[in-house]
Amino acid sequence: MFERILIANRGEIALRVIRTAREMGIECVAVYSDVDRSALHTRMADVAVPLHGTLPSETYLDIDAILDAARATRAEAIHPGYGFLAENAEFARRVEAAEIAWIGPPPAAIEAMGDKITSRRIMKEAGVPVVPGLTDPVLDVPAALAASEEIGYPIALKAAAGGGGKGIRIVPEPDAMESAFRTAAGEAQSAFGDGRLYVERYLERPRHIEVQVMFDNHGNSVHLFERECSIQRRHQKLIEECPSPIVDDELRERMGEVALRAGRAVDYRGAGTVEFLWSKGEFFFLEMNTRLQVEHPVTEMVTGRDLVRDQLRVAAGEPLGYAQEDVTMSGSAIEVRINAEDPALGFLPSTGTIKNLRWPGGPWVRIDSGLFRGLVVGLAYDPMLAKVIVWGVDRATAIARMVRALEELHVGGVRTGAPAALAVLEDTRFREGDFDTQLLESMDLTAPRPDDEAVAAIAAAFHRQHLARRRALAGSHGDRRPWLDRARRSLTAYPTPDRGQREGGA
Amino acid sequence: MKYYVSVNGREHTVDITEVAGVPVVELDGERAEVSYHEVDRLGQVAMVVDGKTFAVSIEGGADAVDVSVAGRSYHVELEDDRERAAHAAERAGGAKTGVVKSVMPGIVVRILVAEGDTVEEGQPLLILEAMKMQNEIAAPANATVRSIHVTENSAVSGGEKLVTLE
Repeated sequence: MFERILIANRGEIALRVIRTAREMGIECVAVYSDVDRSALHTRMADVAVPLHGTLPSETYLDIDAILDAARATRAEAIHPGYGFLAENAEFARRVEAAEIAWIGPPPAAIEAMGDKITSRRIMKEAGVPVVPGLTDPVLDVPAALAASEEIGYPIALKAAAGGGGKGIRIVPEPDAMESAFRTAAGEAQSAFGDGRLYVERYLERPRHIEVQVMFDNHGNSVHLFERECSIQRRHQKLIEECPSPIVDDELRERMGEVALRAGRAVDYRGAGTVEFLWSKGEFFFLEMNTRLQVEHPVTEMVTGRDLVRDQLRVAAGEPLGYAQEDVTMSGSAIEVRINAEDPALGFLPSTGTIKNLRWPGGPWVRIDSGLFRGLVVGLAYDPMLAKVIVWGVDRATAIARMVRALEELHVGGVRTGAPAALAVLEDTRFREGDFDTQLLESMDLTAPRPDDEAVAAIAAAFHRQHLARRRALAGSHGDRRPWLDRARRSLTAYPTPDRGQREGGA
Repeated sequence: MKYYVSVNGREHTVDITEVAGVPVVELDGERAEVSYHEVDRLGQVAMVVDGKTFAVSIEGGADAVDVSVAGRSYHVELEDDRERAAHAAERAGGAKTGVVKSVMPGIVVRILVAEGDTVEEGQPLLILEAMKMQNEIAAPANATVRSIHVTENSAVSGGEKLVTLE
């Protein structure tokens, strides 16, 4: 096993890796930007190396600076965390070229999965189901009809240059194709200057379900079940859970098998996640994330396996040491991401200094966080501040526990998405497991909540009165000066004759 | 002292008077037994209202605060009699137009309107990028763009003037 590793990341994930490494007796090297000199990951590591600058490009994304830090501290391996350089094949190659172990998949696997078109082609060849559709644009209505016949209705017409929902038309049946094609092409032409369209199967009420996989260097591989990640907005996940309320044992086994097949097709190694879109009992490959995921703790909670420990062991060349039948699932786990954002204002980012912090506690509540009082939440880095993870014997217990934990949590100084998560956790559709990726965006999070409104009103009035009283007592700056000076003089401990005598006598 | 309190947009009145050092509270005209104790100077408060206890957190200044009760956040705005009269006069003067300010620090990516343009309520005025996300800043009401205070690619701080509408 390694004696010393470098963690090329910051925030909660750097701390997450440090924690497991310390438990394994491995020394940790942290790297930090100027603003992160007092960050928790900097303080909790054994060695910390400054990366001068604040922008990600001059710090956590600077490959040369990070490799220099690894060489200078004789780190034997580099863990990239998630984000920053985690899915950068060039970085992985440079790390290996520097004869430092790369705690991640082979660079070629990162590349293959990093490109949407390449990965789709490889997956098709490997027999992994992808969303039925053509890879080339269709030119006219007859071509679209012919293609749709093969793909199956309902069809989504998508702008080749598309994005942001513009130029998308849902075609439920062949009769509707002609007018849909015309309007979609027109919209695409005016929005993007490119009227070409793709045809793809339209997935009704899709859910985002992903499978955790782990591969070693000795041909062993296991999947660690699924994670349900459908509670998201603008593709940003808010709540994740394991198991998914709609996945049964048979589907779980099938999805796990397909996920392993996807990994094998790119000679995968280490921890990875295969994302699927699920719709009406069918599931289709979306993409593979070639790194540890933000939401990995829910898998750890139900399987009892430390995924970072497995990552380190695999990177050190050890065999996995356990087989598929050894991976078992117990109970239900939920994670809520605490982001600096304002759900009442369409999740606009929120910045500030963390003034006030109260963490939840109690049984089966886990906090993965880089938060501390005094932390300045700016715009330079990811708005995710913390993750609250709970475990329960079943889903209902886990939901009740998460509600309780979020009611205990208070992060002051910025607004967070926690109230939105509470609203979801209390929504009947969520509780019954009947939801899709649109649930969060369809909820009205600005609706006033009457509970405890009276308490809030009274609290605010008292707060104002106390502020006014404090201001009145503080007096003006002019009044305060002589009083403060007197206080300072009386508290200054330079030896005056009488003070010296008093201290000597004590 | 009587306060007009708006909690997430809903109006209440809170009247706090002191009788022999003990606060007497009326909420919307009804007496409430309240104990308010600051746990620290950071905003954590232990409150008892009519026998029920609450762990409350408060942040903000005299006229607007964020109050958290059991994980839910309430945005509260307060006015006393004098402020209420002043604000009423202001509102009568011209509703919802005026200066559009940045609600957060960020970078102006694109400006979508020009001075003299007429805009409709909800029409995007400019795109502000913050935390790697692009956010459209929309017109709060039908109006005419009088002046634009920022340029594309300029950095703005929270509360900075973006556009003046009239």
